[in-house]
Amino acid sequence: MIETILFYIFAMIMVVSGLAILVSTNIVRMAYWLIGMLLAVAGIYFLLGAYFLGVVQIIVYVGGVAVLVVFGVMLTSRQLASQLLPRAWEVVWLICVTGIFLAGLVRMILKGPWAGNVKQSPQTVAEIGRSLLGNFIGPFELASVLLLVVLLGAAYLARPRVPTLGIKK
Amino acid sequence: MIGLTHYLVLSAILMVLGLAIIISKRNAIAILIGVEFILNAANLNFIAFSRHGIGGISGQTAGIFVIVLAAAEAAVALAIFLNFYHQISSIDIDRGNQLKG
Repeated sequence: MIETILFYIFAMIMVVSGLAILVSTNIVRMAYWLIGMLLAVAGIYFLLGAYFLGVVQIIVYVGGVAVLVVFGVMLTSRQLASQLLPRAWEVVWLICVTGIFLAGLVRMILKGPWAGNVKQSPQTVAEIGRSLLGNFIGPFELASVLLLVVLLGAAYLARPRVPTLGIKK
Repeated sequence: MIGLTHYLVLSAILMVLGLAIIISKRNAIAILIGVEFILNAANLNFIAFSRHGIGGISGQTAGIFVIVLAAAEAAVALAIFLNFYHQISSIDIDRGNQLKG
C-alpha cells in the first residue's frame, strides 16, 4: 500500500518536472526542475530495491551533473531566453510525434506478455561488486579509460582562449 | 499493487517527455536536459527488469554504466557548448550551421 502511494508521488513529481521544463522559458528554472526529476528517479530506484543505484543517482546526478548544468547555464546565458522560443509549426510537430510515439510505446507495453513478472528480493551491493569485477570486468576497465579521456577532453575543449601569462615575444 | 508494467509505462512517459524537450527547445543546455531524461528512462527500465527477474543482477550493473556514461556525456557536452558559445556568442543551436573553426 505504502509502495503504491510512493510510486504515484514519485511518478507525479517526474511528470510535473518534465512538463514544467517543457513550458518553461527560463533555463535556470529548467535546471532546478531537472534536479526534481533526478531525485524522483532515485526514489523509484529505492522502491525497486536498488538502494546502491539510488544513492549513486543522487551523488552523481544531483551532485555532479545538475551542478554542471547550472554552471553551464551561468557561463552561457547572456542571451534572452525569449529569443529561443519554439516556432508554431515546431509545436504542432512536437505534439504529433510525441503523442503517436507515446501511444505506440504504451500499447506495446500493455500488450506484451513480459517473461518473468515475479518480484525478486533486492540485490545487495556485494552482488553488484562481484558482477562488476566478474562478468563486466571488460566494460568496467573501458569505463575507467573513458573517464580519463573525458577528463582530458573536457578540459581541452573548455580551455580559455587567452595567451598564457609569462610568454612574451 | 505496482507491477513491472507500471514501471515500464512510467519509463515510456519519461522518455517521451525527454523527446518533447529535445524537439521543442533551441537552447543547447535544455536539449542536454532532455537527453538526461531519456537516459534516466532507459535506466529505469534496466532496474525494473532486474527487480522483476529478467536479467538478474546484470540490470543493475548496466544501470551503473549508464550513469557513468551520462556523467561523462554531460561533461563533454557542456565543454562543447562553452566552445560553441565562445565562437558565435549564442547558445541557440540553430546558429551552429557552419563547421569553420
